[in-house]
Formats: sequence, structure tokens, C-alpha cells
Amino acid sequence: MPPSGRWRPRGSGPVVRPYAVTGGRTEPSDGEVLDLLAFVVATGAVPTDDHHQLSPEHHRIFRMCQQQITVADLAAGTSLPIGVVRVLLADLIAQGTITVVRQHPAAERNPTDVLQEILNGLRAL
Amino acid sequence: MGSARSDSSGDATAPPAAAYIAHKILIAGGFGSGKTTLVGAISEVRPLLTEEALTTASVGLDDLSGVNEKTTTTVALDFGRITIGSRVVLYLFGLPGQERFSFMWSELAFGALGAVILADVRRLDECFPSVNYFESRKLPFVVAINCFDSAPRYDPEEIRHALDLDPGVPTVLCDAREVASVKQVLITLVETVAARRAATAGRRG
Repeated sequence: MPPSGRWRPRGSGPVVRPYAVTGGRTEPSDGEVLDLLAFVVATGAVPTDDHHQLSPEHHRIFRMCQQQITVADLAAGTSLPIGVVRVLLADLIAQGTITVVRQHPAAERNPTDVLQEILNGLRAL
Repeated sequence: MGSARSDSSGDATAPPAAAYIAHKILIAGGFGSGKTTLVGAISEVRPLLTEEALTTASVGLDDLSGVNEKTTTTVALDFGRITIGSRVVLYLFGLPGQERFSFMWSELAFGALGAVILADVRRLDECFPSVNYFESRKLPFVVAINCFDSAPRYDPEEIRHALDLDPGVPTVLCDAREVASVKQVLITLVETVAARRAATAGRRG
């Protein structure tokens, strides 16, 4: 019998294939691919799961969206691939429990001011 | 800009506005050029998992025997964030160095403020794919020469010549381990972005 054959090295990643948590779906249900830096937030509606379609990962993402958060931050925070996060988010958006946030108004109006703000901020770090 | 939808901003059903302005900066460079070190010097680094299509370029590199159906592979990017003042967050994305992952570069480059190409003078040729890519996408970039202790020193102008860079592309020396040095690289990049935008605006009118 091979000794400690069931152990796997630390950092070898999840045992479950990434898209198992999406039921094998690789595309968001609405077909819309959210930008990495799109902000999402919970709408206040509570996820309904009468048919047990939501995975623990759905609930985890929902909890992380109580404050505005980017798609990239969700992926890094859950250690799920970006593609998986997009599929799960689309489910929650379709339910109306999460919504995509509009761009910050200043980002639309004053790109030059924002660059100056970034420069000042970097110099002050 | 005269947005036709600006009058609907008071609409109660309009989605909420973002509390932050998020900007992307890409960190490119060859394998071992110090991308992880650079991102880690100025922000907390977390791995960001993404799935990449396996292209024919990986044939012979990735062992696919027995897994003929496998067409994607998981790639981890270095991901860091820097909060600037009260309303701006800079997101740093370390691009995978291998050219065969260039598939995902287009998503990362979309809407990016600019890019830093980290160069190791001992393997300068590894910068060529990034230089070509950012030039073709007209994305502003700077070349930061990571001064490894064991590497020979060159004048930044020699590097510019070796990489055949346009005059508007800054080349700077840096130490990817040092916050102050990395900060200066990012400042140079944002100044380059600002200068280019000012030039474009000037031409328009």
C-alpha cells in the first residue's frame, strides 16, 4: 500500500473541476460578459432557492456583494476562475438579487482630472 | 458629451453609481522578469484564476497525451490593487509572460490605462511580444528595466535603441523590490498617458 497516497500537495488547487459549481455551464445565462472591473452590488432582495439551484458558491458570492465589489475582486476572493464567477453572477443578476453598478459619474466626465488625481495619489503614497 | 440619457439620472429605477473609479494597469514582461515582485512591492498580491484556450503553440510544451478533449488550462495572474485617495482604485494585472497566452491579453488590455513592460537586460528579446502588442493596440506603455544585482548595467537609451522604441515611450531603470522605485515607474506611466491624451485632444481641436 503506498504511504500517504491520499495526500495532495498544498497549493495544488481544488479537487473539484472548476465548472462543476456551474453545473457545467461555461457561458453566463444572459450571454453578457461582465468586464473584469465592473462593479456589482446586492439589490436587497433575498436569493430564492426553492429548487435548490444555487450552489454554496452562489451564496458566497452573494454575501461578498453586500458592498460594491468588482468581478476581479470576487474571483480573487473566492479563488474561483473569472469565467466561473461570471456564470454564477449572471444567475444572481437574473434573480434580481445582484445588479451591475453604473460607472462613477466623474469617470465619464473628467478623465483628465482623474489622471491628475491618480498622479497626486501615487506621489503621496 | 451631451449624453441623451443624462436627464434620467434622477430616475429611482436607475442602477446605483459606482463608489470608485477603477483603472487597470497591466504589468507585462518575460518569465522571471520580476512581475510578481513589482506588483507585490506596491500592493497586496492575490492570484486571479482565469481559463485559457490551449493553442497549437502549446503542442509539444504541454503534455496532452490522454487528454485530447482538454482545450483550456487554468492560468493564475498576479492581481493587486492600490487605493488612491477616496475615489480611485488602481488595479494591477500581471500578464502571463508566455506568448501562447496572448489570447487573454485582449480582455485585459480592453479599457486599460496603460502598461508597464518589465525588462531583464539579459533576456531583452522576451519583451518583444509585449512591445509589439501594446504598439499595435496603441496602448501607452513604459519599459522598466529591472536592475537585477547580477545583471550588467546599460543606459536606458541603449535599451530604447535595442527595442526600437518610439521616442514617446519612456525607458526607466527600476528595482521591482522597492516601493519608491515602483511608484516612480507608475508615475512615469500615468504622465505618459496624460501627455498622450493632451496631444490627442490638441490635434482634435
